[in-house]
Amino acid sequence: MSKRNFTNLNMNPCKMCMPMGAAIAFKGIEGCMMLLHGSQGCSTYIRRHIATHYNEPMDIASSSLNEKGTIYGGARDLKKGLKNLIKLYNPQIIGISTTCLAETIGEDIDNIVKDFIEEENIKDIQFITASTPGYGGSHYEGYYYALRKIVEHQTNISYPNNTLNIIVGNISPANVRQIKKWLKDFGIQYTLLPDISNTLDAPFNNSYKKITPGGTSLEDIKKMSGAKATIEIGLFVPEKYSPGKYLEDTYGVPLYRCPLPIGIENTDYFFNILSEISEKEIPQEYLEERGRMLDAMIDSHKYNSEGKATIFGDPEIVYAITKLCMENGIEPRIVATGTKSDLLKKMLIEDLCQKNYNSVVLENADFDTIHSYIKKNSINLLIGHSDGKFIEEKENIPLIRIGFPIHDRVGGQRLLTIGYEGSTRLLDTITNTLLQRKYSSYRSDLYRRYYLTSVDYSELK
Amino acid sequence: MPYKNFKNGVIRMNAEKAMEKILDSYPAKVMKNRKKHMLIKKSDEKQEITANTRTIPGIITNRGCCYAGCKGVVVGPLIDMVHIVHGPIGCSYYTWNTRRNKGKATRGEKNFLHYCFSTDMQESDIVFGGEKKLRQAIKEAVEIFKPEAITISATCPVGLIGDDIHTVAAEAEKEYGIKVVAFSCEGYKGVSQSAGHHIANNGLMKHIIGTGNDEKIPYSINLLGEYNIGGDEWEISRILTKIGYNIISTMTGNGSYERLKNAHNADLNLVQCHRSINYVADMIEKKYGTPWLKVNFIGIQSTIETLRNMAKYFGDEDLIKRTEEVIAEELADIKDEMEYYRNMCSGKTAMLFVGGSRAHHYQDLFKDLGIETVLAGYEFAHRDDYEGRDVLPHIQIDADSRNIEELHVEKDEKRYRLYLSPEKLEQLKKEMPLSNYEGLIKASKENTVIIDDLNHFETEEFIKALKPDVFGSGIKDKYVIQKMGVFSKQMHSYDYSGPYAGFKGAVNFARDISAGIFTPAWSYVVPPWKKEPLLEASMVEKEVG
Repeated sequence: MSKRNFTNLNMNPCKMCMPMGAAIAFKGIEGCMMLLHGSQGCSTYIRRHIATHYNEPMDIASSSLNEKGTIYGGARDLKKGLKNLIKLYNPQIIGISTTCLAETIGEDIDNIVKDFIEEENIKDIQFITASTPGYGGSHYEGYYYALRKIVEHQTNISYPNNTLNIIVGNISPANVRQIKKWLKDFGIQYTLLPDISNTLDAPFNNSYKKITPGGTSLEDIKKMSGAKATIEIGLFVPEKYSPGKYLEDTYGVPLYRCPLPIGIENTDYFFNILSEISEKEIPQEYLEERGRMLDAMIDSHKYNSEGKATIFGDPEIVYAITKLCMENGIEPRIVATGTKSDLLKKMLIEDLCQKNYNSVVLENADFDTIHSYIKKNSINLLIGHSDGKFIEEKENIPLIRIGFPIHDRVGGQRLLTIGYEGSTRLLDTITNTLLQRKYSSYRSDLYRRYYLTSVDYSELK
Repeated sequence: MPYKNFKNGVIRMNAEKAMEKILDSYPAKVMKNRKKHMLIKKSDEKQEITANTRTIPGIITNRGCCYAGCKGVVVGPLIDMVHIVHGPIGCSYYTWNTRRNKGKATRGEKNFLHYCFSTDMQESDIVFGGEKKLRQAIKEAVEIFKPEAITISATCPVGLIGDDIHTVAAEAEKEYGIKVVAFSCEGYKGVSQSAGHHIANNGLMKHIIGTGNDEKIPYSINLLGEYNIGGDEWEISRILTKIGYNIISTMTGNGSYERLKNAHNADLNLVQCHRSINYVADMIEKKYGTPWLKVNFIGIQSTIETLRNMAKYFGDEDLIKRTEEVIAEELADIKDEMEYYRNMCSGKTAMLFVGGSRAHHYQDLFKDLGIETVLAGYEFAHRDDYEGRDVLPHIQIDADSRNIEELHVEKDEKRYRLYLSPEKLEQLKKEMPLSNYEGLIKASKENTVIIDDLNHFETEEFIKALKPDVFGSGIKDKYVIQKMGVFSKQMHSYDYSGPYAGFKGAVNFARDISAGIFTPAWSYVVPPWKKEPLLEASMVEKEVG
């Protein structure tokens, strides 16, 4: 490979910063507003990027720290910001995340918030703080870490109850709605965290509200410590960022960590856990969906075997899609994530070796690195988020958009890709992308290859 | 004409009343602050506005940071420079092609526009310093791309941990024999992205403009403050080239280091966005004697006026004749289509909240379509953008602005040149905005609401009161506005459309606006406030202490 030392110059990043992930997590809490403590640009950029993906309002306040704040500390601005935010939005909960600026000058947000609550004598608003410097990790870690802080702040020892905690990864609102439907069909009482199904994909109605209705309620979050189990969709989350791990360590709530239910094996795994926890058979509807998925896999296997894919994005989605590809004979030649994750690399290499794939697995990678591998392999499929578009354009390889962000197409928030049904849809999209390429060229290819070889080509021109 | 005078039965509140009601719903302290940031245009009085002041923490502002103005807006579009962002990954990622500033190499330059470079600082770099990493990053960039020039933009932590990017830049310049310019544009500086524009302007002036050795060419101009969003610059240069002008450089959309070096050679500078580039325009005039003309290529009438002003400046009979020919030709080309869309849009109303110049420029294009602008606001402008440059000597510099370097340039005795005699220049100044901008207030119609740093609360309340048919703003409030049942047009990225400048651009805009207003979806949603003239909302005052 190139001699470049990839630690110094990141070219075309395949990741975003920590507060970005925290912003999505907080958006899934009912009555919650977020304030970013730092320069206002952080709020503005993050709002902009989230809005382009979800096509929804995305309000994040900022303490608008300026040069003076960097010298004297930002307590005054943070308090002022909180006060105005409360006046304007009247939120039940305020999520406060830090930025590079606040962390570098060493802001103690927990204490500032404590002072604020005392000074203003606030009784009915909950404050959740999460320290998320941009240099502390990627948006993937920021997302889970904010969730962990929400759980840490809002749970106490409680009586055991009959609910199931389900912590979902950064998936589309449509996928969240799908999980809620499964739980309902299993008759499981649950707390789903974070519930962005409505807050980031709200139906149009005539009464616009500043804080979008929906989200996980505080009441439900409080019950999490007494739940009978936690399912955490997040195989690769470091333990210190894992909300499920916290619940297990602190309250003894059994933790099931599982991959995103994409692909038949991952979905089987997920449904089996649901069945085990609820002590109920898998509903007939889903057995039928599974059967249809199998039927689809068999129908399209002959086309899929031509697929040579590059898969990139967050660790969870990359892992699940790689599994889906392997199940269907699509070769995952290059698998990459921008986040640091030795575990992903280890687990994927094991799986890939078992299936005799000689694939490249990259973690902490940028798109320039991914691109350099693509150029050396005959890839005909890109599967990942929109930032792969530059490679798509340059190499003329189709990009199937999935994950976050999707900012150059509509409907990222409505993509249904999980479960038997979602996986089948995704598989069809992949197969059809291969077919489209095939149909657009195979006649001329055949003509050239078998007929023109016997004719003087130049005369035909 | 089915669409003409289609009024929708909407009853609008009068602007004074709306403003009064909004201010009344604020707590006393906020009201006192916000009151100074808004006015209703009255041409018989001299009106003042407060602008470029600190953002109130906690309100949902649309403003960005200093880094955004420097790297994101001014420096980033230069195609042949490797723009390294020194900092954690997010800042660089968020400016990766997000403004849709397009660019094509025309002098054999390299084009790095599709790249995003970051030193991806980690916790250990914050603790132990990031200079070493930056040096290595520059080395890698030089080895891979062999660029003629590199920029380094600082993000928040860089200034705080004391990385000396200017020394690193100077050393790299020596070592690799290329231009390396560092910008200390940490996000926390100033009160908005406007501080970043200034820092970027200083850097371009200090290190790039005037370093080229090209020969002078006749009828030469620079196009300043045009960022080629959606191809605007291409349409503008098409017209200018057709008339016979030679464009030396564009700052900075579709611009390049190669061309920028020779910017001192121009006979005239055109300033499109006054806010972001007026410092360079001013400094070039002081140093090299080139005056600048405030232009507006958004809108048909304003484009025509601009072209005529330019021709008059050069004063060449053939050029004046050619200008009129081109105008006639271009108008003939678009006449039918514009007529069609004008019939659809006539009588509609618009609200504009954009940047530091578009809220002015787009009023002209709306006017061409028969659309009246009822509210116009700038996000990060200064008082001179509202009141005109006459106010400049009276603006008090506050602590936030004082920290941004005011670059003083001296006359370059060798290259200082006047295209016109001082007398002729003075005479022309009376006829056109030469080295002058008269501001948004003057450009707006009587009774237009002029508002600075509009916030979310005000956006919603003004929509309810004034019920516009289209709201031109950015992506961050786009979906709020649309949830309220109003068509929202993105004036920053053009919703992936464009160009909107010049003659052909006007047609694109007219088509997009008509399609937006008349899209069938709106007929399924009629928000209640569209029928009721009342403004009842007030800000929830919650007891805090």
